[in-house]
Amino acid sequence: MRRFLKAAAVAALGFGVVSAAEAQTYPYRDITAAVVWGAGGGTDTINRMIMAEMEKHLPVSINVINQTGGVAGSNGMVYVMNQPDDGYTLVGLSESNVTAAVQGGWDQKFSYWHPFIVGGSPDLISVPANSPHKTLQDLIEAAKAAPGSIPAAASGSGSIHHLNLLAIENGTGATFKFVPYKGSAPGQEAAVAGEVAVVVTSLAEQQALIDGGLLRPLATLTPEPAKVGSIDIPSAFSVYDGLDKYLPLKQAIGFAVHASASDDVKAALTEAFDKAMASDTVADWAKTNHYDISGQSGAEASAVFAKLESTFAWTLWDLGAATVDPATLGIEKP
Amino acid sequence: MEFVLDQLIAFASSLYTLASDPLTYLYLVASVFLGIVFGALPGLTATLAVTILTGFFGNKFPLEQSLIALIGAYVGAIYGGSYPSILLNIPGTAASAATAMDGHPLAKEGRGGEALGITTTASFIGTLFGAFCLLIFVWLLLLVAKNIASPEKALLALFGILLSGTLMSQDLVIKGWIAGLIGLAMAMVGMDPILSEARYTFGWSYLLSGFQIVPVLMGAFAIPQILDGMRAAVGGAAPLPVGRIVPRLREVMRHFPGILRSGGIGTGIGALPGVGEDVAGWVSYGVAKSVARDSSRFGLGSLRGLISAETANNAAIGGALIPLLVLGIPGSPPAAALLGALKINNVIPGPTIDPALIVHIVAILVMASLTMFLMGLFTARVFILILKLPRTVFLPVVLVLTTIGSFSVGGGINDLFLMLGVGFAAYAMTAMKYPIAPLVIGVILGGLFDETFRRSLLISDGDLSIFITRPGAAILVALNVALILSQIPAARRLVAACLPKSPAIGKD
Repeated sequence: MRRFLKAAAVAALGFGVVSAAEAQTYPYRDITAAVVWGAGGGTDTINRMIMAEMEKHLPVSINVINQTGGVAGSNGMVYVMNQPDDGYTLVGLSESNVTAAVQGGWDQKFSYWHPFIVGGSPDLISVPANSPHKTLQDLIEAAKAAPGSIPAAASGSGSIHHLNLLAIENGTGATFKFVPYKGSAPGQEAAVAGEVAVVVTSLAEQQALIDGGLLRPLATLTPEPAKVGSIDIPSAFSVYDGLDKYLPLKQAIGFAVHASASDDVKAALTEAFDKAMASDTVADWAKTNHYDISGQSGAEASAVFAKLESTFAWTLWDLGAATVDPATLGIEKP
Repeated sequence: MEFVLDQLIAFASSLYTLASDPLTYLYLVASVFLGIVFGALPGLTATLAVTILTGFFGNKFPLEQSLIALIGAYVGAIYGGSYPSILLNIPGTAASAATAMDGHPLAKEGRGGEALGITTTASFIGTLFGAFCLLIFVWLLLLVAKNIASPEKALLALFGILLSGTLMSQDLVIKGWIAGLIGLAMAMVGMDPILSEARYTFGWSYLLSGFQIVPVLMGAFAIPQILDGMRAAVGGAAPLPVGRIVPRLREVMRHFPGILRSGGIGTGIGALPGVGEDVAGWVSYGVAKSVARDSSRFGLGSLRGLISAETANNAAIGGALIPLLVLGIPGSPPAAALLGALKINNVIPGPTIDPALIVHIVAILVMASLTMFLMGLFTARVFILILKLPRTVFLPVVLVLTTIGSFSVGGGINDLFLMLGVGFAAYAMTAMKYPIAPLVIGVILGGLFDETFRRSLLISDGDLSIFITRPGAAILVALNVALILSQIPAARRLVAACLPKSPAIGKD
């Protein structure tokens, strides 16, 4: 019996040494990615897609879970913040999370994260198929003729779609009646049901309804035009000069690791991320789903998020929709 | 007519392909079983089962195969929620809260086996009913679902709360409504959905996300149950007889009209965007009670009540898939998880979806319901053994399960305090004969009511006429008013006084 115990002790010691040796190379156990938005949404879908692809270049599996709720996804971010910064817990997020701090969800600047951006889809301004407005000019003229009477849907106050709607208003001088929805899908659903006359969401989110002839896209809110099936969508920039001053925003969906994680962890993740982004699977996926691929990580991606954070935070503060003064968080004015 | 024939032929060939592939059975048996377990464990939901499988399959397996597993788990979980509802009076999922109303009294009478058997059959027929509606009426139901906007959703949510208040009250209906209104008030806590202002949070950040539904559900149903058990079980309860499980064909045939009606209601409600299995069960139960010639057995162990709730929540699956597949708008939370699975496989559900995929999904639904039926009759035999355990053994286990269930959603200690707080309040309410179910329904539907009611007013510039000028909304307003008036004695007398007169007027 004693001999057995001794043997067991030696074996246990042996295992300890082996796992200590393995611990030097990240990753040696499965990684968890906690997505802060719900199942079926853009951020969830992108994370499940990219993690499945990154797995092919890593010796371990990546499990994707959803940690939703809180303010601007703060539940999920707080959850990951409370995990060790060893790279085994990632957070799946999007540009809309940069407002969590000014809305009182948590007390960190976005620079808490070391982000990886998969991509984003351009925003569209669209109307229901039976709408009398055939072009963006028609719609803007109608809105100018009756200021604040045309109901326009976009997901919650402070979302990228809301800020883009504000930008259109500022750039053209028209005013709409802003009607917030909990997400893009309910907003689009409301446009199809005729509850609102205008909807601003992303191309990826609208494409099925455009294909099916239920929504009529008027313009993209990015410098580039787009094409869905046989429908050409002009850029709002080509219709109204000077819009570029107001419309600097673009979706940025991806994931992040603690900025305090070690360089080895960041390097291993970056390598797998770069390989995944270069794959045909990701390219095909992006094409079918109308996403523009970014592939930025590290300092480059942090710069994108810092700009988004400052624009979002100060716009919300000026609207009176923020509870925490961005200045107290150290967020600079755009 | 030609469309129906074409669909049926396509369905038959799809079913044949599916049934002749041995892999299908492997996926079905594993996923339906996983679904039943998830549904049966308090706190684990159908949405979670589908989400976890979506993560497991990712884009690593062919979509045809992962769909079998996802839909199998969905069907299994909606059905599995009925086990704890019947055996423990704790709904496994929100969808099976109405099942507990009549299921548990039956189990207490020693007819638990019969209740599980009839539930299994009702779920089976309900799923099939929903699947065939998806196959045949897909475009017709779409027309109705598409026109449901904020005013209709607000009134439907209000109707759900009032209805459960009306049905659940033991003595005074007003007590049910009070419980419903308390639930509605609880739903107001947190970030306001329209203006993003914090409400009733007292500066406490936990309350910003509002009261989570799972801890409320667990606290409201499980804690009073456990407290009651602790008071009653000192001597150890005598094991209850189980009874026959496989239902007699004659019994099923006798309830067939009710099954068809509940299937229709379930599919219709499932097809409404954003309203799912949980509402379907309640509405169908309410309708069954109001059309029954003798409704005195409802709430005391009525097979009709049990069948109406269970058929409808499973029929809602087929319904929920209709707006998902043809509009890209999920009809229920588990359907939203399915949407994610389709998207990562490069399938964009919506008006341009491949019609063959819809037929394939119907075939999977049919196979899954068959698997669920056969497996259910077997697993029911295992689960029913719980009733033979002394309560002193299983009540602590139930407490552990509900604690884990509440914790698993948000992962915070505050959720457990919430569960306990709601639990003690619910116990006090039970002692005063206030029904608990309307409170929970109030919390579940209150958010929807709040958001859609205020959005309607935002769009109409505060003009209340938006609730009567839309035809759908007008019908729902009438239903709500009729429901309230039917409980006011003066109004009842008035109606009774008017009724005999009206034929007389007709004769003149």
